[in-house]
Amino acid sequence: MDKCHPLANLALEQTIDKILNQTQKEIESSIDSALNDSQQTLDDAIPKLDQEYDKIIADGKKEADKIEKQIIGSADIKARNKQLLALEASVDKVFTKALDEITNNDRSGDYANLIKSLLDESIRILGTSEVIVSTNSKDRDVVQSTLSGFPGSELSSDTVECIGGVIIKSKDGAMTFDNTLDARIERLKPLIRKDIAAKFGVNN
Amino acid sequence: MTAEGGVQYSKIAEIKGPLVVVDDVESAAFDELVEIETLEGERRLGKVLEVGNGKAIVQVFEGTTGLSISGTKAKFVGKVMEMPVSKEVLGRVFDGLGRPKDGLPDPIADKFVDINGEPMNPEQREYPKDFIQTGVSVIDGLMTLVRGQKLPIFSGSGMSHNLLAAQIARQASVVGKQDDFAVVFAAIGVQYSEAEYFRRSLEESGALKRSVLFLNTADDPAIERIITPRVALTVAEYLAFDLGMHVLVVITDMTNYAEALREISAAREEVPGRKGYPGYLYTDLSTLYERAGKLDGRKGSVTQVPILSMPSDDITHPIPDLTGYITEGQIVVGRDLFRQGVYPPINILSSLSRLMKDGIGEGSTRDDHSEVSNQVYDAYSRAQEVRALAGIVGKAGLTEIDLKYMDVGDTFEKEFLTQATDENRTIEETLALMWKIVSKLPKNEITKIKDKHVEKYYKEEE
Repeated sequence: MDKCHPLANLALEQTIDKILNQTQKEIESSIDSALNDSQQTLDDAIPKLDQEYDKIIADGKKEADKIEKQIIGSADIKARNKQLLALEASVDKVFTKALDEITNNDRSGDYANLIKSLLDESIRILGTSEVIVSTNSKDRDVVQSTLSGFPGSELSSDTVECIGGVIIKSKDGAMTFDNTLDARIERLKPLIRKDIAAKFGVNN
Repeated sequence: MTAEGGVQYSKIAEIKGPLVVVDDVESAAFDELVEIETLEGERRLGKVLEVGNGKAIVQVFEGTTGLSISGTKAKFVGKVMEMPVSKEVLGRVFDGLGRPKDGLPDPIADKFVDINGEPMNPEQREYPKDFIQTGVSVIDGLMTLVRGQKLPIFSGSGMSHNLLAAQIARQASVVGKQDDFAVVFAAIGVQYSEAEYFRRSLEESGALKRSVLFLNTADDPAIERIITPRVALTVAEYLAFDLGMHVLVVITDMTNYAEALREISAAREEVPGRKGYPGYLYTDLSTLYERAGKLDGRKGSVTQVPILSMPSDDITHPIPDLTGYITEGQIVVGRDLFRQGVYPPINILSSLSRLMKDGIGEGSTRDDHSEVSNQVYDAYSRAQEVRALAGIVGKAGLTEIDLKYMDVGDTFEKEFLTQATDENRTIEETLALMWKIVSKLPKNEITKIKDKHVEKYYKEEE
């Protein structure tokens, strides 16, 4: 094999150096470009990350608000319900005591007037004086004596369970009017409850 | 309220369906409340439908099952049906007739109000124009609800209208003024599980303390359903006009109400109208829907969102048809979207809020709201046309702009329309999503929005 000419070797070395330099430049440029790209990507990512961070914080705050509302709402309802039950128990006590007092009330004096007005009202509402009147055993005497002022009316031999007052029935049995104290209290109960509640300091 | 009671009559001439005919009645009044007492001493409530010739026809709310002609007594109470109202009703659960269903005592009444309400003087009505945020993007963005409006939801059987109703009830608020907002929820003929869902969902979200629930379940007597919306609206009117609150009334399902009305009408042998519903269905529905509104000089408002399921999804059925004449727009739940699993499956192209224009814009939502909403409607409508075209010629036959509209349609359904049942979006979030959809179109396709808004909110896709 012939030995290479020294000039040829030099040319080859120069070419190799040139290629190496070029490659080095390309690699350096590529590294710079990659670095720039990475920097750019990083710079671009920061606002996105900030946005994402803000969104996570906002979502978390929203969720926290929701849970706070749930806890407060539920506690408010529970407290209110306990208050309602306590109030109702007190109202019931007042009612029971009042009913006891009415039941044991003396039937003399004004009570006859009360029975008379109850009979008046009942006969007016039924639209007939031909009526049968029922009452409890305690009021029987008062009613019997008051009925003398109501021609056409008669006292039933049967007694009814009530704390006072009368039940009037037309003689043909078609119409009945309950004017016992129990029925009247029942009709007015919502208003009485309101008054009692107001005495306990509960106003709507 | 007086201590004077009513006369009890014992001559029952006839019992026919939900009706009891009482004989020899001398002084009964139309709509008067009646207490029916059975032989066993059980008491049921009813009201007088007709009086004359010594007879009174009584409609028994709890049904006539088990009643016999002999032994049944009817007591005419001497007043119309009243609902005890006070601020205490908030946070309570009642049955369809307004009786407590939560194990607590009757509310202590501030006053007793006729459940038929008092008609609003038309001259004193104030035009509704204040925005209510429901937190549901499609409603807030495209068919905005305003205070005092009546905006029904037209749905079909089995669809997710009840989920939507509960979500609206939980999330609805008047932006910036949470304290004076209340929700009255009337469930008519719903399943027990649904009623329980409504109750639990409001309780767990903490919204129960500003809500009142009236629950008439499917196994409750059908006739009770005539009363349920009336007691609910009575409470709503009290909260609104006596206590100055902004009240949202959600009533579901009005179809069950209309069917109860048909049952009574058939029992009364009235001449039937379309599909057997009484000829006065329109008038009757209007006595409920027209109880929504705002009054001059009063602080509060009653807003109604009645929900009705259209039999066979038929929008020409008498119930949606007549409802549509009275209300101010409609929200239509679409079967196709529901089948695709979209929630809430609202078909925006058939939906409309007639009062939206007055409730949005600068000062209430945002100045670009109306325009961006129009653009979204337009784009979605075009997307639907493109989808139909793609069904014929295939996607390959579509132009580039057609493909963009298809993309808009998909984004609209996946990102804007679709929402979790517990996701409460603010109006700002909703508007941002609407701009995201609009920004998928090239600028030259945006024809309904002013340039200044496009410059401010349009964000071209990268």
